[in-house]
Amino acid sequence: MIKNAPYHEAVRDYEPLAERPLPPAAGLREDLLHRYHPDYRPDCFTKLTVGPNAGDPCHRRLAGILQSDSRIDEADLAASPEEEADVLVIGGGGAGCSAALEASRAGARVILATKLRLGDSNTVMAEGGIQASIDKDDTPQMHYEDTVKGAHGQLDRGLAAQMVMDGPDVIRWLIQQGMQFDLDEYGDLLTRRAGGTSAPRVLYFRDYTGLEMMRVLREAVFNGDVEVRDYCPAVELLSDQSGHCAGAVLSSLKNYKYSLVKARSVIIATGGIGRLHLNGFPTSNHFGAVGDGLVLAYRLGARLRDLDTFQYHPSGLAYPPHLAGTLITEGLRSAGAYLLNAAGERFIDELKERDQIAAAIIRECAEGRGIDAGHGQCGVWLDTPSVERRRPGVIERRFPKLLHLGTKCGIDPREQPMLIYPTLHYQNGGVVINKRGASSVPGLYCVGEVCGGVHGRNRLMGNALLEIISFGRRAGAAAAKRAHGFARTPKKIAMEHLSAFRRELMLAKMPLDRTSPLLFPEYAKFDNDSDYDGLRRNARVDG
Amino acid sequence: MSEDKAKLINLTINGKDISAPASLSIFQALWHAGYPRVKGAGCLQGVCGSCRVFVRRADSNEVTTELGCELLIEEGMDVNFLIYPIPPHQTYQLSDIPNSWEVQVKFHDIFPEADQCRHCGGCSTTCPKDIEVERGVALACEGRFQEAGELFVECVMCNLCQTACPELITPNHVAMFSRRVTAYFHTRPSNLINRLGKMHRGELQVVE
Repeated sequence: MIKNAPYHEAVRDYEPLAERPLPPAAGLREDLLHRYHPDYRPDCFTKLTVGPNAGDPCHRRLAGILQSDSRIDEADLAASPEEEADVLVIGGGGAGCSAALEASRAGARVILATKLRLGDSNTVMAEGGIQASIDKDDTPQMHYEDTVKGAHGQLDRGLAAQMVMDGPDVIRWLIQQGMQFDLDEYGDLLTRRAGGTSAPRVLYFRDYTGLEMMRVLREAVFNGDVEVRDYCPAVELLSDQSGHCAGAVLSSLKNYKYSLVKARSVIIATGGIGRLHLNGFPTSNHFGAVGDGLVLAYRLGARLRDLDTFQYHPSGLAYPPHLAGTLITEGLRSAGAYLLNAAGERFIDELKERDQIAAAIIRECAEGRGIDAGHGQCGVWLDTPSVERRRPGVIERRFPKLLHLGTKCGIDPREQPMLIYPTLHYQNGGVVINKRGASSVPGLYCVGEVCGGVHGRNRLMGNALLEIISFGRRAGAAAAKRAHGFARTPKKIAMEHLSAFRRELMLAKMPLDRTSPLLFPEYAKFDNDSDYDGLRRNARVDG
Repeated sequence: MSEDKAKLINLTINGKDISAPASLSIFQALWHAGYPRVKGAGCLQGVCGSCRVFVRRADSNEVTTELGCELLIEEGMDVNFLIYPIPPHQTYQLSDIPNSWEVQVKFHDIFPEADQCRHCGGCSTTCPKDIEVERGVALACEGRFQEAGELFVECVMCNLCQTACPELITPNHVAMFSRRVTAYFHTRPSNLINRLGKMHRGELQVVE
């Protein structure tokens, strides 16, 4: 039995020091990822048996919801109200909002449906910043090469190249929507370094970058022509006689009724899967992040990729227990915060890629050099006092969210280090898209975390906020353009694809009593909630 | 820690009697006690403003407004969720403001009620982030938009201030207007502009 140092003893033994050298023995071992990163545990994965990715490896939990039946039948839709739009956007985070704004500005009639409220998303929780190559010693080529290296080379190079070239214009677009960034005394954008990068390239607003982005985009959408349907999760896509995407079925949490939105283009921007708590990890993700978009796209026949790789953010809060998993920005390590084990020793270069750092933290704890917080949770120190000692006042100036979190924990991060452990943060893979955000199903576009290929097997800090705006704008424009090409709506719009998928499930002898999308995490007991009898009960999916 | 765990806290949430271990948030206590709760759940980390609650503590007549994800349960608390914030009633496009000289006039066109502030302080009292909301509205009315906006760095758009205002001012949207015009008209970083120029001239490419 491995025994880590008890929390209160470790707090007592901790000594704030401005400088600590990295021991030479802390160099990377070749097998660090293979031995300690959760992506490399073979028992967590299975092969998909139905759908376009049959035969591909996939996390068991995700495979369970991908290979489940729909929550609804054609019969559920009798007498449901219908409406039409040029473009239907599903998801109200940063990707959905930027897509909706651009589609609307291109003249399309846009409906944006979101499961909860507009802006309830992972975007609002992003802290560290957004990458864009703007410093004179930096180039888009360097940004591209860092992205490829971080991804372990397993990415769609064309998508990454386009994204980094979009970077500076994405920042201009955000400023034009009214987003503020941290500036120096002359009004230039400040930059900080992301782990695994060759130049300072992350632009930010305090440690509230996502909040600032999201509240500005939300305001822009509310003040524009986009029609927002909040509390309306999509439960199934609609298809026409050719199998092309033709809209979606929404389920209102306000009046417990289904409604159909027929659309010439559909953009899925539903984000990731953190709230599935893969491998028992806590998560930094939003309440609604349970993989709805992946399920909807897959059932309609869209190809997915890299379903066996997820990002565990190195610095999720590990103590106190009720806040476990809460994100602490990589910006702190960028500002020079050390990672320390119970002995007060550094054990890895704090600006390596996220997967390496997460694996190193897991190793320290697994080998008894961590700190035991009780409740089965362990972790290592994020040495915030070291940053404050070197640059007094920097935490208050640049990291107000951390200070607020400290208040909730009863810890002053300027005096005492925070206990951290990796937290499930990001779905690296997802729907295969082209440079316009189009999936392999005509009429279906996907943007943001729901997509794969841009970040390969490991995403860099700040590339997600860049991706959602870069691809969001492009998909919005492309979806609007496609919609204009239609003379009229196709005659027969239904859910024909469901019968084909059910047939496949039956032939593969898969259980038919599981339904998806889940819509909400299991512990919210959504499907037992008598307030929500408009939806059928969802069988519990084990994994 | 184990002592804390053993001790159950009793409170009322939306009229339901709940017992849960100390050090749980309002949401965690509900789920722990077996009550489903989806409405009002958002980021669960205090930045989305979704989980607004009214709270009355034991032996107190005062009702406060807080965020249910950040608030820890206390013995004898009476908690009620507020749902469905009202969408803003004004609309504007930044591109309709011809230049920065016109911002003040436009502001009063878009937010005519902002001048009617009675200084009741309701907005500042309700703010779960302790922002000086009322002062922010006053600064915006004077045209000091940058200063007004800076007060709202931590605003999560929970809309409580809007709910509290008897004059139907929407202080959080006043704040967003103030912040947005500041960026739209005044953020002109030379490092970004130089880079955009180089890219426009085709001087920077990516070789895959």
